[in-house]
Amino acid sequence: MHKLGRGHRDKLQQFITITGASEKIALQALKASDWHLEGAFDFFYNQPQLKTFTDSRHLEELYNRYKDAYVDMILADGITVLCNDIQVDPQDIVMLVLSWHMKAGTMCEFSKKEFIEGLQSLGIDSLDKFREKIPYMRSELKDEQKFREIYNFAFGWAKEKGQKSLALDTAIGMWQLLFAEKQWPLVDHWCQFLQARHNKAISRDTWSQLLEFAKTVGSNLSDYDAEGAWPYLIDEFVEYLNENGIIQNGLINDSSLKW
Amino acid sequence: MSMSERKTIDLDQGWDFMQKGILKLKNILEGLPEPQFSSEDYMMLYTTIYNMCTQKPPHDYSQQLYDKYRESFEEYIVSTVLPSLREKHDEFMLRELVKRWANHKIMVRWLSRFFHYLDRYFIARRSLPPLNEVGLTCFRDLVYKELNGKVRDAVISLIDQEREGEQIDRALLKNVLDIFVEIGMGQMDHYENDFEAAMLKDTSAYYSRKASNWILEDSCPDYMLKAEECLKREKDRVAHYLHSSSEPKLLEKVQHELLSVYANQLLEKEHSGCHALLRDDKVEDLSRMFRLFSKIPRGLDPVSSIFKQHVTAEGMALVKLAEDAVSTKKAEKKDIVGLQEQVFVRKVIELHDKYLAYVNDCFQNHTLFHKALKEAFEIFCNKGVAGSSSAELLATFCDNILKKGGSEKLSDEAIEETLEKVVKLLAYISDKDLFAEFYRKKLARRLLFDKSANDDHERSILTKLKQQCGGQFTSKMEGMVTDLTLAKENQTSFEEYLSNNPNADPGIDLTVTVLTTGFWPSYKSFDLNLPAEMVRCVEVFKEFYQTKTKHRKLTWIYSLGTCNISGKFDPKTVELIVTTYQASALLLFNSSDRLSYSEIMSQLNLSDDDVIRLLHSLSCAKYKILNKEPSTKTISSTDYFEFNSKFTDKMRRIKIPLPPVDEKKKVIEDVDKDRRYAIDASIVRIMKSRKVLNYQQLVMECVEQLGRMFKPDVKAIKKRIEDLISRDYLERDKDNANLFRYLA
Repeated sequence: MHKLGRGHRDKLQQFITITGASEKIALQALKASDWHLEGAFDFFYNQPQLKTFTDSRHLEELYNRYKDAYVDMILADGITVLCNDIQVDPQDIVMLVLSWHMKAGTMCEFSKKEFIEGLQSLGIDSLDKFREKIPYMRSELKDEQKFREIYNFAFGWAKEKGQKSLALDTAIGMWQLLFAEKQWPLVDHWCQFLQARHNKAISRDTWSQLLEFAKTVGSNLSDYDAEGAWPYLIDEFVEYLNENGIIQNGLINDSSLKW
Repeated sequence: MSMSERKTIDLDQGWDFMQKGILKLKNILEGLPEPQFSSEDYMMLYTTIYNMCTQKPPHDYSQQLYDKYRESFEEYIVSTVLPSLREKHDEFMLRELVKRWANHKIMVRWLSRFFHYLDRYFIARRSLPPLNEVGLTCFRDLVYKELNGKVRDAVISLIDQEREGEQIDRALLKNVLDIFVEIGMGQMDHYENDFEAAMLKDTSAYYSRKASNWILEDSCPDYMLKAEECLKREKDRVAHYLHSSSEPKLLEKVQHELLSVYANQLLEKEHSGCHALLRDDKVEDLSRMFRLFSKIPRGLDPVSSIFKQHVTAEGMALVKLAEDAVSTKKAEKKDIVGLQEQVFVRKVIELHDKYLAYVNDCFQNHTLFHKALKEAFEIFCNKGVAGSSSAELLATFCDNILKKGGSEKLSDEAIEETLEKVVKLLAYISDKDLFAEFYRKKLARRLLFDKSANDDHERSILTKLKQQCGGQFTSKMEGMVTDLTLAKENQTSFEEYLSNNPNADPGIDLTVTVLTTGFWPSYKSFDLNLPAEMVRCVEVFKEFYQTKTKHRKLTWIYSLGTCNISGKFDPKTVELIVTTYQASALLLFNSSDRLSYSEIMSQLNLSDDDVIRLLHSLSCAKYKILNKEPSTKTISSTDYFEFNSKFTDKMRRIKIPLPPVDEKKKVIEDVDKDRRYAIDASIVRIMKSRKVLNYQQLVMECVEQLGRMFKPDVKAIKKRIEDLISRDYLERDKDNANLFRYLA
């Protein structure tokens, strides 16, 4: 450590804090990007995950610790215990990221296969390693491509089994959770609009296109293309914003918005 | 010696002799007393030239004579012709010029004859201009070039005088202008450049001045009369003295100044412009307007635009009138249901007749006006009146004509003609599928309840609809009409079956109409608990039907049935004509004196809506066959009913109608549902053939495919696309959200 200058040491510490990566990996990423933090993040996230050896026996023990007494799955109670052990709130968005890693088919359930293979892909076979990995998983939400994958994963994960659409209340909860990470200024208006005007389940197409809408159309909507292929519901939303004076001549007119 | 040698003529001597001949000619041209050339004179002059050209060199004087030929003209022009022209002005100058030109041509002709030998040999060998051409060129170069400007101005001045109504010498002008043409020697450049261009310019200026006054002073019709008269007179002018090649250019100038420049001002004159003429049915003036404006570039565009506006406004006025009439009648509650709407359709037909006649006659079948008429009617014909769409109004109008006892009393010819016109109007309606559904609904009622007045008319209108909208549009309707024909045959077979099978006895008279599912509107088929008498009927018919076909399934639709019942009341027996539902309810009272609402409902196995409706018709309406407790105007689930044995009526036979159900909502819902299917099918068809397609193109093709039947709302298409994505027929491209892929 004495070989590093002060600036380099600060950057190293910053990278480790954000990504949860080990010091060795952090050093590798920063050197590869010539000590530019943004470049280092890109390098780090684009590298194929190094297959860390995980102890199958330990994974089995972990699974058995949380597994339901009657069903060969981890259910809500087991997940509660898991959250307790890794010191994470069950409502924390990082649990969504974890579920994404596990390719969980349904909210509040992990099959044995999902749990064990997910932890293997994360290189986790102990609670200590699990806790260490939390910051890394949280930081993945800052990567745009991963956020999109997690966002689209959330639809299937959160919807009722056997249903094609996502219940409105659940969708609203998920949007509030997800857009807390992305700071989309219209999210509250969107949720109010849905409750006032739509009041029905959300289709997968609308769900995924809303993210594109939030990303590509400026918050003043001046570049919104009403003749475009946006889902019907988003067209209605833009109309709603204009009708209620929230957007006027491409300018946001809502004092309740906080920048 | 027997041969005498010819004496050589020298140049001076020979030319001196020729000079005498030329002088003689000049004197003749000048009108001086001079005897005509004798043949001997002619021969001597000709021979002299001949001799002087055929003498041995150096006495061959061909070149000198050729030069002197030209000089003769030049000298005469300079010494005599030009002075006589220069001293004169205007019309006198023109007359002198015509005379001088005529004389010049005579001089050319005579001298060419005298000097003819030169043309045959000298000129031919040297490829020089011929004598005739030399002569004409002299006049052009010496006279024409000096005077043509003055001549042009004088001619134009006379033309303008004639335009002001003065008498002028047309023959003179013709002769003068012929000079411009002849000077060109086969080319029109002198006429066009030296006269026509200035004449056209003057014409423009003249009519520009006139138009700027007329547009202020005259009404539109008066202005057009003047314009037409001016064009006619300019055409006359060409016929009388201008060259025919000037006509299109001349008329174009006049048309431009009188019409193009003031087109908008003229057409939009407040009290006499195009709108006013249409409003006041000034057919002759409109015809003139068409004739005039059809001659200028894009001249008909504003006329057809105003025509479209006018027709649209007339149509919208009819819509407004009908709306007002309906709301007035509703307030009074005195009207026959839908009468005002029927009047509306009749008026629209009349409007179409009127303006179609305008298009065909005043506007000579021009495509722009057909288009304007079509677009105008499309605007107001899709407005609807008082909550009813035009599609529904037209269907109701047809029903009124085709059914027995309709409010219209028309001859067969009038019916055919009117139906033809209705079908023409249908072309303007976007929602043809809605018309088809309403029409089918009413056709079904006419056919099933024997309300159709005339089979031939029913088939005739279907033929017309088929011609206009295609076979798919009418296939169900034709199926319906055919079903009725087959049903009659089937009934005949049934009666034969009954007479041949003593054991098959329905017990009462029975007529069954067999219908093909899919042709007919969908009907509720409740599992009504039939009275025992009717159950027997159903069984007998089923047995009969089994003898004809083993693989078809009968579904009974009792809601469409009719019964005749003898009602034995204390005062007298009355025959009741009722629906099957009503009959089933009444027959319950053969074995029960008093029944509650819920008892009736459960015994009949009908829905609340049906029971309420039928009990209302039997106890609260005109004919109170049942007594209701309590005695209120509406049916409630706590009511009780008894047979009214005291009921009577002056008629021995009465029909007890059910209150009409408003089917409009259901028809519209059915059509909406069908449209969703149609849009889905269209999208899948398009995507199946394209595999990958962007959103705008998909929408465009979908609208195009479906446009014949209805105009799909883009939002509706968007919803269907999303639904098809949900159902895994389509997906969005991963990288481009505007691109859709077909999923097999």
